[in-house]
Formats: sequence, structure tokens, C-alpha cells
Amino acid sequence: MPSLDLGLGILDRQLLDSEGRRCGNVDDLAIEGGPGETPHVVAILVGPGYWPQRAGWIGRLAGWIGGGKRVRVPWEDVAEVSSHVKLRKRAAELGLGTGDDRLRPLLEKIPGADR
Amino acid sequence: MRTLSSFMRRKVVTESGRKLGYCHDIRAELTARKLEVTGLCVGRSGLVEHFGLRAHSRHDEVPWSSVVRIEGDRIIVSDNA
Amino acid sequence: MNKIFGLALGILAAIGGFVDIGDLVFNTAAGATFGYQLMWVIPIGVVGIIVYSEMCGRVAAVSGKAVFDAVRERVGFKAGLGALVSSEVVNLMTLAAELGGVAIALQLLCGLPYRWLIVLAVIGFAVVIWITSFNWLERIFGYGGLCMLVFAVAAVKLAPDWTKVGNGFIPHISQNNPWLYLYFVVGLLGAAMTPYEVYFYSSGGVEEEWKPSDLGLNRANAIVGYALGGTLSIALMIVGGVFFLAHGINPEHLGTIALGAQQPLGEIGLLLAIVGILFAVGGASIDTVFSGAYNLAQFCGWEWGRYRHPSGAPRFTITWLVLLVLGMGIVLTGVDPVVLTEYAVIFSVVALPLTYVPILLVANDRSYMGQYRNGRLANILGALYLLIIMVVALTAVPLMIITNAGQN
Repeated sequence: MPSLDLGLGILDRQLLDSEGRRCGNVDDLAIEGGPGETPHVVAILVGPGYWPQRAGWIGRLAGWIGGGKRVRVPWEDVAEVSSHVKLRKRAAELGLGTGDDRLRPLLEKIPGADR
Repeated sequence: MRTLSSFMRRKVVTESGRKLGYCHDIRAELTARKLEVTGLCVGRSGLVEHFGLRAHSRHDEVPWSSVVRIEGDRIIVSDNA
Repeated sequence: MNKIFGLALGILAAIGGFVDIGDLVFNTAAGATFGYQLMWVIPIGVVGIIVYSEMCGRVAAVSGKAVFDAVRERVGFKAGLGALVSSEVVNLMTLAAELGGVAIALQLLCGLPYRWLIVLAVIGFAVVIWITSFNWLERIFGYGGLCMLVFAVAAVKLAPDWTKVGNGFIPHISQNNPWLYLYFVVGLLGAAMTPYEVYFYSSGGVEEEWKPSDLGLNRANAIVGYALGGTLSIALMIVGGVFFLAHGINPEHLGTIALGAQQPLGEIGLLLAIVGILFAVGGASIDTVFSGAYNLAQFCGWEWGRYRHPSGAPRFTITWLVLLVLGMGIVLTGVDPVVLTEYAVIFSVVALPLTYVPILLVANDRSYMGQYRNGRLANILGALYLLIIMVVALTAVPLMIITNAGQN
């Protein structure tokens, strides 16, 4: 059974969806289960909304500038953990990459955007 | 529900008050379906560890079964950890 | 054979792209003020950028990650955020300085008002980046920058006292005006070891999908390209020493710098100099703006890439567009581009440790680099330069204050 250190091995890694699209970093992990039980990681937490808990006031400021979005990706949707974290579904299905999705139509109005 | 970040850099002390260090990371076992926590990586604090210059080489693993409770800003483990 | 050809082209592009506005300003000013006495700083700066570029290229080829990507993973969120903020601030200042330089060069060529040219240049860049494939961009600006070689010709034609030039390569401190001398040491190093360059190089390597088998070629490209580019810096200092020092001219304006090529080579020299400056500084602007977009996108986990069509990486695209506009805004305030350049270089020096320490950490990390992690030579050089960078970073602002930004 491969053992891994969460901070070193998963935290802050790039998320790739099932199509290989970059859709965020692992900003935090949700762990369920306390002393006396066997805790396990239930979700990957993604988004600037999770930055305050990582870096105090600087994180709060950066998180606010970033829009404060929060997305929970259930651990069941994780396909593989390697140098990236690969997910089983497409970004849109998981609520990830919405920033890019929202801005894409804007850019596509400009000729040459899809060259 | 806790977050990984809430564990990091918390003081780890035994029930009798002996300071073991700070929690630097959480060790877990990856199975096909689950990622199960097996223990805490505890070591000295300091900028060196914080910036990963020693990359967890000096850490002791405290098995999760030794964790008694989590309160305030510390994690309390049993005395024989 | 094809590989050699590709290598040659790459080297040419690296030479043409080596000089940016910081090098232009500091090398000629150093020559104009201290003659050849600061020559020894140039090789130190060149080796420094080679050492760190090599590490960044290796990280890209072996781990498949751009260096800034790995920085957040390796040093953590807080330190990564600190590195991001400092690099973006410095980046923006550098970008503004480069854009100002481009506008001045354009003004020297066509005489239109400076402010119009800033806007025209930025619009021009946005359009060119939007529609041109990156390979072509690199070629156009790299080869155009080769016109800078006119300064090398001019340096020879100006017939400097080569013995004195040679002596300049021996490290020493001038007894005359030592604080100003040290300020130039800091500035020259900062101008040579620009942070945006290593980030750009690393991200480019990921985009080109470098593999460990490419390492040799890219090492050669970097070493030869930067080394030859360094000779351009030497040429600029010689021109400064022979021409400006002799005539008591302080090259505070880019046009003045170009005059250094006119005296020995006539009107064609002047033209080539201005065109060379235009392309070298223009190419640097593009590297800088992309570097800024790369770092932000990598920190936040967005899709990124200059090879993706703009709609493939919307936030990345909007980032470089916004950075261009912000840079333009700074230049439009009327700040002197040469002054802005000095501040940009000094501030990037201060931020250098935050740039290079993570690179050194990642390049040493076995989990990213496997067998390709830093060997003894890379670590000795890396550590040595880290020491130099720390000293320079700590002394930069005090020296700037003492010498009143080189006005002494």
C-alpha cells in the first residue's frame, strides 16, 4: 500500500481533469474522522476561498482578490495521484475551471482567438 | 470535518504535557478507493522545516491511534507515542 | 545536421535576445562613468544567469513542470504567494521600462510623438502576439536583435586601449567614488540576471516538451547564447568607455546610446543601433509580459501556454493583456524610461533571493529530478551565486539611496 505525505505529495499540486485540462491546484484537503476512528480524506478543496486558512491575512487578501470561490471535489472523483492529481471527470462537471469557461466566450468574439 | 491545513503546525503534546514538536504533515495510505490517514509527521518547528529544506527527513511518525484529542491549538497524544 | 542548425538558430536568437533595457542602460552608463573598470562584473553576471537558467531548463525537461509551478508545491503556499507578489511587481516595473524603451526607439526612427508611440507599440504587441505563432515571434525579435552586433563592431572600430580593457576584467574596487562604483556592480549584476528570463525559459521548456534527452542541446544553447550575448554587454561598456567617457557624455537617453554606434560607423551604424535596440528591447517586453502571465497562471492552477490559442487559456490570455495595459499606463505617466529602468533593475535585485532560492531547492529535490538533481558543480555554483545574490540584494537599496540612484 503506497503511503504518502499529504502536504508533500498532494497539497498544492496541479489538478488535471479527465481530458488533461488544467483546472486548479489542490488548495486544501477535507478530512473526516477524529481520534479513535480512522480518518480519511473525503474531498479536495479548490479555490481562492480556501486561501485564508493557508496563509493568514495575506491569504485573506489574496483570496478576496481572487474572488473567494470554493469548490469541493469528492475524493471518489480522483483517478490518480502522481506529479499531478488526475480527476475522473471533466472540469465543468466538477465545477472547476469556471473562470476560464466564463471568459472564453468573451475572447472568442475577437478574431483569431482560436488560431 | 477538518482540513489538512488545520493540522499543520499545531503543537503536539502528550497527555502529561511533554512537548513532542509540531505537526508538519499527515501520512496516509492510498488504496483504490480511499486515502486513509495513518499518522502525523511530528518534528521540530523552525524555518528550515517550514521551507522544506529538510523535507521531512527528521520527522517521527506518530500513529493516528495515539491521538487522544484535538483541542485549541494543540494535538494531544497518549504518553507512549 | 538538423540539430546543429537548430542549435545555431537558437544561439542566434539568444544573442539577439540577451540584451534588454537594463543591460543597455547600465553597461553604457558604467562605461561612461568608470571606463573599463567594471568589466569583471559582466562575466560574473553571465555565468550567474547560465547557472540558474540551466537549472530551470533541467527542471522543465525532467519534471515536466515549469519552475514556478514547482515553487508553490515545494516551498508552500505562503512563501509561494510571497514569491508571486514580488515577482509580479518587479515584472511590471521591468515591463514598463522595456515598453518605454521601445517607444523611444520608435520615436528615433519615425519621429512621432512619444506618447502616441507607447500606445501604438502596446497595441502592436498585443496584435502581433495574438496572431503570430510563438516560434515566429522568437525568430523575428531574436534575429532583429542581432542588429545590436553593430555595437560590437563599433567597439572594435573605436580602437580602445585593449590593455586597459583587459585590466578591467580583474576584480577590484575603484578608489574614486567607491559607492557609485558599487552601485554599478549591483546594477550590472541585476541587469544580467533578470528573473523574468529564467521563468520564461522554464515555462518555454515545458511548452516545447523538453525531455531529459534534450538537456545537452539546451544546455549548449543557453551557455553559448548567453556567453555570446555577454560580449554585447562588453561591447556596450567599451563604447561607453571610449566614446562617452572621452566626450564627457552621460548616456541618459537611449538616443544617446545609439550615437555610440554612429560615431565610428556613420548613419548606417546609427540606424542599425536603433533597430537593434527596438528588437532587443521589444523581444524582452514580450518575454517579460509572458513571464508575468505564466507565474500567475501557474500559482493559481489555471490553464496556460503561449502555444494554446488565446481561447484555450482565457485567464492566462487576459493576464498578459492586462499586464500590457498596466505597463503602458505606467509609461504614460511620463516617467523617464531610463530612470524607470534603474528602479526596475534595483528592485529585481532585491527580489532575486526570493526568485533563486526556490529554484535551487527544486533543482535539488529528488522527487522532482530523480537522477538529474543538482550535481556537485551545480550546487557549488548555485550556492556561490546565492551568496552573491544575498549580498547584492541587501546592499542594493542602501547603495541606491547613498548614490541617489547613480546621480552622484
